[in-house]
Amino acid sequence: MKYAFYPGCVSRGGCPELYPAAVRVAGKLGIELEEMKDVACTGAGVLPQYITDPINARTFAKAERMGLPIMTICSTCQGVFGQANLRLQDPEYRARINREYLADEGLEYGGTVEIKHLLWVVMEDYGADHLKAMISRPLKGLKVSPFYGCFLRRPPEVITPTKETNARKSYLEKLIDIVGAELADFGGKGKCCGFPVLTANEESSLSMTAKHTSEAKSKGADCMVTPCPLCHLSLDGNQPRAEQQEGTSIGLPILHMPQFLGLALGFSPAEMYLKRHIVSTMAVESKVNMMT
Amino acid sequence: MQANFSVYRKEPGAGSKAGRSTYTVELPEDATVIDALLKIRDEQDPTLGFRGSCLHGYCGDCTVRINGKAGFSCAVKVAPLAAKGGEIAVEPIRNMPVIKDLISDWDTFLWDKIDVIKPWLEPNGAASLDGEELIDDKVMAKVRQAMSCFYCGLCDEGCTVLPVDFKFVGPAALTKASRFLCDPRDHATAERLRILERPKGMWDCVHCFEASEHCPREIAPTERIIEMRDMAFKHGITNEKVARHHHSFANSVRNSGWLDEGRLAIESEGLTNIKGLMKLLPTAAKAVARGKAPIPFLHHKRPGADKIARIIEKAEAKEK
Repeated sequence: MKYAFYPGCVSRGGCPELYPAAVRVAGKLGIELEEMKDVACTGAGVLPQYITDPINARTFAKAERMGLPIMTICSTCQGVFGQANLRLQDPEYRARINREYLADEGLEYGGTVEIKHLLWVVMEDYGADHLKAMISRPLKGLKVSPFYGCFLRRPPEVITPTKETNARKSYLEKLIDIVGAELADFGGKGKCCGFPVLTANEESSLSMTAKHTSEAKSKGADCMVTPCPLCHLSLDGNQPRAEQQEGTSIGLPILHMPQFLGLALGFSPAEMYLKRHIVSTMAVESKVNMMT
Repeated sequence: MQANFSVYRKEPGAGSKAGRSTYTVELPEDATVIDALLKIRDEQDPTLGFRGSCLHGYCGDCTVRINGKAGFSCAVKVAPLAAKGGEIAVEPIRNMPVIKDLISDWDTFLWDKIDVIKPWLEPNGAASLDGEELIDDKVMAKVRQAMSCFYCGLCDEGCTVLPVDFKFVGPAALTKASRFLCDPRDHATAERLRILERPKGMWDCVHCFEASEHCPREIAPTERIIEMRDMAFKHGITNEKVARHHHSFANSVRNSGWLDEGRLAIESEGLTNIKGLMKLLPTAAKAVARGKAPIPFLHHKRPGADKIARIIEKAEAKEK
């Protein structure tokens, strides 16, 4: 199993714990990664499509040339890529992008690249049974709430285009079960974390952070797990400010999906860089350390 | 068929408390939820308030939540719900103030917001002498699609922002704005964008695609909002804070190929905005202490950055 690894900006920027954790987890599972180093940011839904479609087509063309599917570790990268790739399935549009933007560099995108988040890779390509066999530290007794990030849930034509892919909407719950943890389910798991409006409407953004983390906490969660580093910035990084705004105390640790899986694969909390979080992960670490 | 209903009740007035009434109704096998509500009102409880008009799933007037899922009460059949046993819960849709029972206040929910976006065509005067203006059908298809919105409220009901900020203009009103922005006969694009860029306008949308998922007519409100934002990018963003954020983001990708998050956080607040920058300090200090903060001057150029910059410059030149 080999992938063109697209780590995205945040896994080495605002969430530098994510990149090494994901690489360690992939290594342990025997997933081979060839990092794409000379490609652009996806645009993250901030830059307009007339800019991002050409720069993302360039990334896809490079992966096609490598002969590998792309693996992401960010719901936002995954979603923006998926939406761009869908538009680029239109042969006329693709030909225009190739001609106007990629030909200069001798590149051409043929429309064939497959793009998968690590969560999809482990659940679909690696397989649940295979993964179960790799669990060396079942996270028994740890209550976990899932949080997907919008772009790993919608739009359906990108995320769940076939009947077989419908299961993607419950992969986190499945993963929680596979690693032996307990599900603390809650209604906000597929909603927006608030990050996209942090600039335009900080109050709304922080309200969303408080709403989701409080709800998960009220369901008894010890922590929340997310496959999206932007959600992590909002739910972990902004949690203290959200507490202040709403006049409440929450203190819910937020784990990146690779960190969560990594703990169950036997990595120590330090090897998964849990100390880099804004909300203390001490309670989770103590529980995990007692499991070893 | 016999079915049991638990219906949300509330009397008009700010002080009234919400509750529920339960009813058991005998219904034909093909009955819809609104058939049940009509029967309850006619035979058991004349005080029950709800809306309904066409009774054929066409007008969107009877939108309610049935067992936690929003839909048209005239289009949802009772039989499969009754077969599950227990009570069928009928409630008003979310994000809307309730006037009485299942009757919600559409003025503050939708109509007042639509008023704000200038919901009429400003003709560009290009019509021919006989008063006709011929437009390519492909162009009109998009306008027609937006015009097929029948204001059922499902997109606003599914919106992620409205539950935390009811003053957000919402996807339904933004879809109405899109109807004029994509109409080639309209000449008020710049003015419309200025209105939409105000606080609580289009930049407050989180583009979560809930609105598109909830739309029963595939009008794709989320995609339309994204298009409007791209249009603003092209025309020059007039919302100062959003403009700073977007310019910093674009400059970062143009200069280095990827995002300089440290610089983005500072530039989005504004270099002279001391109060805004101070607000970031506690989290930034924590992040630095934990080896987490991206330091702007350590941000390096990615291989291939010059090629990425050339593509961005070309795309911008082409669109402007």
